[in-house]
Amino acid sequence: MELFANLAHGFAVAFSPINLLMCLIGALVGTLVGVLPGIGTIATVAMLLPITFGLPPVGALIMLAGIYYGAQYGGSTTSILVNIPGEATSVVTAIDGHAMAKQGRAGPALAIAAIGSFFAGCVATVLIAVLGAPLTKLALAFGPAEYFSLMVLGLIFAVVLAKGSVLKAIAMIVFGLLLSMVGSDIETGASRMAFNIPELADGLGFATVAMGVFGFAEIIRNLDAGAEMNRDLVQQKITGLMPTRKDLKDSTPAILRGTVLGSILGILPGGGAVIASFAAYTLEKKLAKDPKRFGRGAIEGVAAPESANNAAAQTSFIPLLTLGIPPNAVMALMVGAMTIHGIVPGPQVMQKQPDLVWGMIASMWIGNLMLIIINLPLVGIWVRLLRVPYRLMFPSIVIFCAIGIYSVNNAPVDVILAGVFGLVGYWLIKHDFEPAPLLLGMVLGPLMEENLRRALLISRGDWSVFLTRPLSAVLLAISFGLLLLTVLPALRAKRDEVFTESEN
Amino acid sequence: MAETMGHSATATRNTSVVIGFCLLAIAPQIFEFIWSIGTIFGWGAGRGPATVLISHVTALVAGAPAALIGAAGGDTKKMSSDVLLALIYSYPIFAVAILTLFMTIRSAQDYVGGIILMALALFALWASSDLQGMRGFSFGAGTAPRMFGGLLVALSAGIALTGLMTDGPGMSHYSWRGPLFVMVAILFFALAIRPLGLVVSAFVSFMIAATGSHETRWVEAAIVGACLTVGCAILFPYVLGLPMPMFPRFLVQ
Repeated sequence: MELFANLAHGFAVAFSPINLLMCLIGALVGTLVGVLPGIGTIATVAMLLPITFGLPPVGALIMLAGIYYGAQYGGSTTSILVNIPGEATSVVTAIDGHAMAKQGRAGPALAIAAIGSFFAGCVATVLIAVLGAPLTKLALAFGPAEYFSLMVLGLIFAVVLAKGSVLKAIAMIVFGLLLSMVGSDIETGASRMAFNIPELADGLGFATVAMGVFGFAEIIRNLDAGAEMNRDLVQQKITGLMPTRKDLKDSTPAILRGTVLGSILGILPGGGAVIASFAAYTLEKKLAKDPKRFGRGAIEGVAAPESANNAAAQTSFIPLLTLGIPPNAVMALMVGAMTIHGIVPGPQVMQKQPDLVWGMIASMWIGNLMLIIINLPLVGIWVRLLRVPYRLMFPSIVIFCAIGIYSVNNAPVDVILAGVFGLVGYWLIKHDFEPAPLLLGMVLGPLMEENLRRALLISRGDWSVFLTRPLSAVLLAISFGLLLLTVLPALRAKRDEVFTESEN
Repeated sequence: MAETMGHSATATRNTSVVIGFCLLAIAPQIFEFIWSIGTIFGWGAGRGPATVLISHVTALVAGAPAALIGAAGGDTKKMSSDVLLALIYSYPIFAVAILTLFMTIRSAQDYVGGIILMALALFALWASSDLQGMRGFSFGAGTAPRMFGGLLVALSAGIALTGLMTDGPGMSHYSWRGPLFVMVAILFFALAIRPLGLVVSAFVSFMIAATGSHETRWVEAAIVGACLTVGCAILFPYVLGLPMPMFPRFLVQ
């Protein structure tokens, strides 16, 4: 019953006017970002990090969380109406969603996407509340060796779930780890790889790197393709939002399956919303009696991925709140937001900051409720936004990013660094390297190094400690097994199949 | 016919890749040289261009081989950082460049990507070479960077090998206009925000960035840029309470 007391406390926090306002702003910004193609969630959260300086920590995190799951709602709108995914997570939604829109059934598609998201959001909220406390207890049994192994597992998951070459994904993680070493050494205070540049002495800020690799690089890449993206907007007015009874009957099991799959993939380190939507779509296609309907406007193809991405977006908070380990790049930025406010993420947050944790969990439910209103009756407004041409949008994003980075430390050098990382990101895209594992590696780097050093110090330099401590051994065994499975040819083919879904 | 044409195409391609790698091998030295030119005008501290040039050339041509021979002979005297750079970074990349001459690259995207990543890793190895290593069983400051640097060298070599063994996409097309103007806009903003203030730097940067697309209409861009500047000038300092200079310093004083 502690759970209900906690939730009640959370709702009391979340219903305070300021937090309600923050939740609304987060949901609105999230929807906006989701709707507009060319701005990703990661870049937006990075952009808004400095803005949260002046806010109380609870409000700040509620807003940032709102952006993340709000974007999952908004992304579906663009996918369905324009056939361009507004967000990486709604790439698969475009396949059947846009087909439905062409048949004049845009209304039901949007409605099912929102209903599925709402249902998944509610389930995920409960799941966070239920799983939070026991996982925190488990985390307390973790020593440095276990932490290190857990992070290895998380990074391996990121590799397994990343798109494309396994080797490249691992290389990106190690590159991220190396970048995280720049700056002062935690133990000895020695300046590492800083080349006597005072601004580097504190290390590379990952908001800077994230903004460069995800914000600037994305803009440059989009400019390559020509600023005016081909937008075959469904012009006819959207009539009849209500899905028919048959639609509901068809999509209910899909929503349920999507929610379960998404919740699981969200909790797993390295997972997150993108992979969840792909997996859910593939699962539906496999289970369907008539797989040929997919791609021609099957409502399950909208319901399942949209539920899955929203569930995953929310359950990915679980490892962050309980273990203090960010499972994906957006959560990595949430760590940044917490550190800005002097909160160290980890098991102790649940005990020391009940306001923050339970307030945020409760706000997710409220946010989902707000989102369904923002997205369904107000869909027309968002569609109008899509008519803003990219040639005006991209300089605005550049300026907004630049001011944002500058304001973090009032350091012009940070802006230049972000620009440099923009070029690095552009280069990564051109050589088919994925930037997301890089950011994850960069965030986990200091934590990993610290725990590795501590574990070895305790064991007096004995590396076998990672294998003799049972929990750590299990975690490492799982990571090794996963890596082996990924490299095996049969599974590789399957994995590639999941990802090529997006290209047709 | 088609085959010979294809062959000659890869041959010319290889030469340009090799030249690129050779430049990459001495990129840090060139960068330091260009940087050092600034010291003539009194910008920044550091060695003068003549010292930089002489020191790097001797390190590349004579210092490093001498050190190699010395090390082989059991001589363990401390090497200068320039010699280390030549040994750890430049020579391996030169070696790769020479090897590339005799290779058929089947996927330039992977091969070139792997080699550049390897260069980054080697550079990191050099940058952390002055740090302390293991002290007994406890890690020194340099242990982890060297460990991950070494791992990255191995991984990137693997990626480059895939580029040689399996067929894949070639180099993708880089455009210059977008990256150039966006970078100039960012650079201008960074340099101008302190002396010129938010209003001027935001608007000018907006216009520079807008130049990056050939679809930009100037009047429209200027209007939007002005609106955005006003919006930011209200949002950041007043609504969010983040202090930053608003107007050019010489106007305020």
